[in-house]
Amino acid sequence: MQYPSEHVPISDGTFTLLRNLIHERIGLYYDMSRRDVLMDRLSPRIIELGLGSSLDYYYLLKYSDTESQEWSYVVDVLSVPETYFWREMDQVQALVEYLVPKLVAAKPDSPLRIWSAACATGEEPLTIAMALNEAGWFDRTAIEINASDASPRAIAKARQGLYRERSFRSLPRTLWDRYFVERNGVWQISPEIHSRVRWAVANLMAPHEIAGFANAPIIFCRNVFLYFSQEAMSIVVHHFYHCMPAPGFLFLGAAESLLRINTPFELQEIGQSFVYVKR
Amino acid sequence: MSLLASLDEAARLRVIKELADEQSGEQTGILIEALNDESWQVRRAAVDALARSCRPETLAALIAAFREQQHSLSVINGVLQVLSLAEIDVITPLVELLSAHDADLRVSAALALGDQNDPRAIPALIGALRDPDTNVRYHAIEALGKLRATEATDDLLGVAESRNFFLAFPALEALARIGDQRGASRIVPLLENDMLRVPAVETLGQLGDEQVVKPLVELLQTGRAPASSIARALATLHERYERSYGEGEFIADLVRRFIDDSGIRRLLDGLDETHGQDVRALTLIVGWLHGPTVERALVRLLGDTTVRREVLAALVRQGARVTRQLVAQLDAVDAETRQAAAVALGRIGDASAVPALIRLLEEDDDLAITAARALAAIGDRRAFDALLHQLEHPTSAVRQAAIAALNSLGHPALPKHVKRLLSDSNRLVRESAVRIAGYFGFEECVNLLFERCADDDERVRRVAIEHLPYLEDERVLPMLASALRYETPQVRAAAARAFAHIEGGESLPYLLTALGDPDPWVRYFAVSSLGRHAFPEALAALSQLAQYDPANQVRVAALKALGQIGGMRAVAVLAPFTSCGDADLERTALQALGRVGHPDALPPLLAALGSPGIERRVEVIEALSMRRETAIVEALQLEVTSSHEQRVKQAAIAALLRIGTAEAVATLIALSDDRACREECITALASLDASKIEWIARGLEHPRTTVRCAIVEALARMRSPHASEQLARALDDAEPAVRLAAISAFGHLSISHAEYKLAHLALRDSIPAVRRAAQVALQQKVR
Ligand SMILES: C[S@@+](CC[C@H](N)C(=O)[O-])C[C@H]1O[C@@H](n2cnc3c(N)ncnc32)[C@H](O)[C@@H]1O
Repeated sequence: MQYPSEHVPISDGTFTLLRNLIHERIGLYYDMSRRDVLMDRLSPRIIELGLGSSLDYYYLLKYSDTESQEWSYVVDVLSVPETYFWREMDQVQALVEYLVPKLVAAKPDSPLRIWSAACATGEEPLTIAMALNEAGWFDRTAIEINASDASPRAIAKARQGLYRERSFRSLPRTLWDRYFVERNGVWQISPEIHSRVRWAVANLMAPHEIAGFANAPIIFCRNVFLYFSQEAMSIVVHHFYHCMPAPGFLFLGAAESLLRINTPFELQEIGQSFVYVKR
Repeated sequence: MSLLASLDEAARLRVIKELADEQSGEQTGILIEALNDESWQVRRAAVDALARSCRPETLAALIAAFREQQHSLSVINGVLQVLSLAEIDVITPLVELLSAHDADLRVSAALALGDQNDPRAIPALIGALRDPDTNVRYHAIEALGKLRATEATDDLLGVAESRNFFLAFPALEALARIGDQRGASRIVPLLENDMLRVPAVETLGQLGDEQVVKPLVELLQTGRAPASSIARALATLHERYERSYGEGEFIADLVRRFIDDSGIRRLLDGLDETHGQDVRALTLIVGWLHGPTVERALVRLLGDTTVRREVLAALVRQGARVTRQLVAQLDAVDAETRQAAAVALGRIGDASAVPALIRLLEEDDDLAITAARALAAIGDRRAFDALLHQLEHPTSAVRQAAIAALNSLGHPALPKHVKRLLSDSNRLVRESAVRIAGYFGFEECVNLLFERCADDDERVRRVAIEHLPYLEDERVLPMLASALRYETPQVRAAAARAFAHIEGGESLPYLLTALGDPDPWVRYFAVSSLGRHAFPEALAALSQLAQYDPANQVRVAALKALGQIGGMRAVAVLAPFTSCGDADLERTALQALGRVGHPDALPPLLAALGSPGIERRVEVIEALSMRRETAIVEALQLEVTSSHEQRVKQAAIAALLRIGTAEAVATLIALSDDRACREECITALASLDASKIEWIARGLEHPRTTVRCAIVEALARMRSPHASEQLARALDDAEPAVRLAAISAFGHLSISHAEYKLAHLALRDSIPAVRRAAQVALQQKVR
């Protein structure tokens, strides 16, 4: 999206430096045509910090750790936390109806682990939890749901568990009534479902931050690679493959595919949806 | 059966590599045979071997192979590769081959000539348009297109007019590629032909002028061609007129003049049926039109991100008529649509949208920011209170948008409110108030601003310190000095930055002391401020930091500052950093050397031009563009002609433009002869300022016709009376192509400088096409 606004000026050269640095650290890729989008997001920060130029900001980022406050800020403003309950539901259905029964039967004694790897404000992992609950799985076996995102602000919102109307565009009304209570125009998710999910801040491009999650046999990583370069996507996907047990199942967004990168994952149709499988 | 055929791939490869070292006539035969090998590795090795040993006998053998191995494209390709690797002329033998007995061989020759980017091939290829074999003609057409052979325009038009689909289609494509506008009028009749209609539409978009708008619109109305292809053609035409003459609007006017309801309906139906790239063209054209159906269609497209820009522009054109529909979209479900509606309302500027936009301030951050910007653009004071309220918003970007909006509303009560808010209990409000008071320097707020330099909140103090240099008050310097010394690192850094804006030499001692600060960012900004002032007294200290500071960013800043100060000593420190292995330091040293006027700075820069990475070469070129020496202009010319990287070429052309000396301009003129960068050179020349018109016009005496045509184009695009005066000289050019280019340029300009000459050409020119063109140009002006 491109809106003209008061941008801090940036030369072609500095833009290239800055976007390469962001790409390297968090995977998000901005080509020349999206230069305004990037500057739209970063300019307020550069002005707020009182910096004289975008080059100063480049150095500030370059010489700060990726875990630092400044990078958290960058992730927060660049993050596109567009998400809602019951999104691309065929995949969750495939999880509940085919994969969970199969995996639980294979290892009845150990808890089943599911990771939502770019969960934004939490709608995706909570959808998974609601669907599992509807099918009665929590009563039958131990299931661990981890949810993470690189944006601290998104995770803070997810921890609160408060949602506005826009998150409910696809959720059936009965479930809305069953799992949420209204408070001053916002809806609070039921504590029982909310407590099924463990939240964390983690950057997909930082192997040590995701190591504890990526060994789950089920990974949802949807609608984030849209914003990555192929190169960054390939790095992350290979890392998943390396950490996941076999069989392992990776769900991507409907608009994403591993078609153009070379991976050992195998595409399978399970139920009504497509899943990348490690065999 | 030969020796090689019995071996496996690895063995064949080994044999080739061994033969490469021996070189005798017999071996050459084997190597040539290997050019036909099924393995590309073997073929590759044979090419290398032959290229290395290319002596006269080899050459003869190669040429013979060319003739004999008639049916093997891979041998021909191999031979061509050898010849070009060995830097031997390939055009002459290829042109000869065009008259070979075997048709396949002639096809191969045409194909190869198309890839050689050498205009010497053009006459022979034009000849091949009359080859008895259709395939040869086909490939000759394609090759002429690839070579952008303007000379072939007439012949290609003849092929298109033959209406032989197999050849007319590629001929139209080639004509589009060549882009010679003279062809358009002969293509229009092809719109009647069922088979050629769509490609003809496309070609007209590429090379037509305003004359083709009417037939295209009429065709749209008949429904005999898809609306999307016509829209694409009109959009291309519009884009070209806008880019070349700043006259895109003229095309839109013509479309409005000719279109009727059935045409509008077809465009709108097209929008419903089309996806992707074509939607953009259709949206653009629809946006030129008016009426309730058009408005509704545009509003419906708001949520479509691929055509966001076109839809916004179109809606803004509709003006206040669409305000109500847009306001309704502020409540849409989809976030993109709401954002876009708010942006459009801001640009339209209709005050009736203000209450709805004020409500939007309560929404999510992104919408709140867009709403504040829209309110600022509308400038209606009813938004004042709501915006003031935003000053305590938890998100800083939202506060900033509100501040910017308040600053632009210019409400008379602003100083009074800001004065009150400077002592607000909320730290976010105090910070916002400091930003506004500091920006305007309100009299009644100055004392409070100084008080805020001692605020409890660090951020408020930092922002207050940042705004001090703009106040005229004797307390400023002591306040900054004390902050630089006793404050927290963040505030010390702010003070160091603020010192950059203190006029005169007073800041020198404070900044020098700050170079010893324990915090690297304080040192970084102190160094930067010293650089801004270009204090020569700081040279020694900065040289030390550049070499020894433990923080890389400080070293970078020091290199930059040395460049700002300049002189021989700075150069001595900077030069070794151009190849120190750290990307930030290298880049900064190069830029700094570019800035330094001293002659010693030149050799290390020119040396760095040979760096391997593209990124680095572009940086060096940019650094060079800050200087004016002849050696640089020569080096840049070489970069343009010899680099294979488009980005390097473009950077070098941009650098020549920036240098802008008579020499640099002459170089750009000469470079416009190269088809690969002609357009870039023309654009560069046309963007030079008016004082350089005379230098550009010297190109009209250049011996090459193509260069003179390019200069005509550049002068035309400058659209100034003085440029037109020079342009008129081209009407006397000995070459008809140049006269024609000049005549067509005057079609877009005032002809007061050329009326007499045009009339003369219209009556007396020896070439009929020139006479016709001049007559048309004069008639257009009368109309
Ligand atoms: C559009 S949301 C996807 C939400 C959810 N998965 C869905 O499909 O509805 C994209 C999220 O990716 C997150 N993200 C972007 N880069 C990331 C990175 N390097 N590591 C982790 N998360 C990242 C953003 O913060 C954002 O919240």
